[in-house]
Amino acid sequence: MADYESIATLHKHIPSFSPYIPVGLLPYLAFVLLTAVFGLAFYFSTLPKTTVPLREVAIASTASLLGGFGVVALFCSAGVYV
Amino acid sequence: MAELWRSRASYILLGLFASSLVSAEHSFENTAIVRSVELGGALTHVTTTYAVKALEHDSSIYTIALSENEQKNTHWIQAKMKGQTVPLHLEHFGLNPNTGAYLYAVEFPTALKANASANLVVETVQTHASYPWPEVASQKDIQYLKYEADLFVLSPYPTSVQRTKVKSPSPQIGSYTTPKDMEAFTTDVPVTKSGSTVTYGPYSNIPASTNREFVEEKQKHIAVQYNYPNPVLEVTKLERSAEISHWGANLNIQDNIWLHNAGPALKGHFSRLEFQSQNYYNRLSPTTLVSLALHLPPGIRDVYFYDLNGNVSTSRLRTTPSVPKGSNSNQYTLFEMRPRFPVMGQWNYSFTLGWDSPLADYAGWDKESGSYIVGVPVQTLVPGAVVDEAEIKIVLPEGATDIQFSPPFPAVVNSVSTHITYLDTTGRPAITLKYQQLTDRHTGMIYVSYKVPLSAHLTKPFAVATALMGVFVLAFAWRRVDTRIQK
Repeated sequence: MADYESIATLHKHIPSFSPYIPVGLLPYLAFVLLTAVFGLAFYFSTLPKTTVPLREVAIASTASLLGGFGVVALFCSAGVYV
Repeated sequence: MAELWRSRASYILLGLFASSLVSAEHSFENTAIVRSVELGGALTHVTTTYAVKALEHDSSIYTIALSENEQKNTHWIQAKMKGQTVPLHLEHFGLNPNTGAYLYAVEFPTALKANASANLVVETVQTHASYPWPEVASQKDIQYLKYEADLFVLSPYPTSVQRTKVKSPSPQIGSYTTPKDMEAFTTDVPVTKSGSTVTYGPYSNIPASTNREFVEEKQKHIAVQYNYPNPVLEVTKLERSAEISHWGANLNIQDNIWLHNAGPALKGHFSRLEFQSQNYYNRLSPTTLVSLALHLPPGIRDVYFYDLNGNVSTSRLRTTPSVPKGSNSNQYTLFEMRPRFPVMGQWNYSFTLGWDSPLADYAGWDKESGSYIVGVPVQTLVPGAVVDEAEIKIVLPEGATDIQFSPPFPAVVNSVSTHITYLDTTGRPAITLKYQQLTDRHTGMIYVSYKVPLSAHLTKPFAVATALMGVFVLAFAWRRVDTRIQK
């Protein structure tokens, strides 16, 4: 391990941390994604029951994917920084 | 350079331990030693200046000695050449069983020629060196503390002149020892008091003192009883938890603090009437801790302060804007807190203080190694307090690998564990560092470098997505099951 002084100077000079998604956008992203999930879930409930549930699986997977990101964004905007 | 230092150091080690007289080379002579003791509450700052004259050509390794009592209480030591800012490396040689003196060796940056002189400044911080005397005091009494020390500064080299100045924070000094039988060292009065300084010395012609004969026969003990005008504070336990979030770009620091008022114990019962009248006339006794002003880092938000009963609303916060990562600015957020009750002598108060801060102020991305480097401050200083036990836990994001950490001073114990919190699947790596007896000079940042690939970042949303998918699968199955009781 490099000695303390060198890691301190390295820490000072490297570019600051920046997240993939800007933090200011997270509340809006949470709102948009979760409303989309709500809408998709409602649509899912209206779908007919078919033997090969292609449509249901497609809707369910997009809804859960969007919901995954939406819940993480929601937690962060609520102050629980996950 | 390192090899040369090691071989010379081991030569010294051999030389010192081989002889019972710990002055193997006699290559130095102290022309003057001045020890300045700044009395405090739980912390005592001692600055010893050695004016050194080299007797041999090319002398550069100088040995400093601390007596057994001093070493027991000393928890921070630094040596510098007078006028310079860079501290010198101190080699610890430990206790010499023949003499009971702890030895440290320091190498001068430039070797001294014969009869050349240099000034070495050794700063130490002692903890728990003063104790309340008398041990009980009522709400109205003055707070007296007593500091005990050895009269002579030990040194393996002979000393021409030596003096010790004991500086009290207030001119009210209850009593101080007058050493007897000092004719060998001084013809004048052995101790003088002027204002708030008690001066022991100057004493002349002290021989090499790191030997049993001197320590047992010539060494004297002194004690000074002084008025300390502020509450004596101790943090018996500090648990700091620093949690890093990459999705929220946030560093949360939470301190669980167990505060103890180490002043004289309260005599009798707490009288609210007495307390209120003292408060009204602004004549609060220093045995009572009513409020504390802490300097928190700049740029923090969402500060919370609660104890076992719940939120403590008696506090004021004045924030300052964020400063860039790694800058040496002296900006701070002022947090004026009032514990839920006035903390009298020997009473305890425990609370939790935490805040969120932008991760960009503490962490950076190193492109060459592909890792993140974060700096976590070791402690928030409680003014004048000693931290008896500290445990600092740094929680890294989930899926962090290649973890390396470097603290500013070595920890007693390090460990890596797994910490599980919201939306975790595999858990987050957590580094725990334990310290003892931290003083106001133990500041600095613990640097941790770790790598988190994009896939590790995505485990969180995917975990939530899987849970939601599970709900959808349940709904899918539910729709196809006929739950009617009657058709």
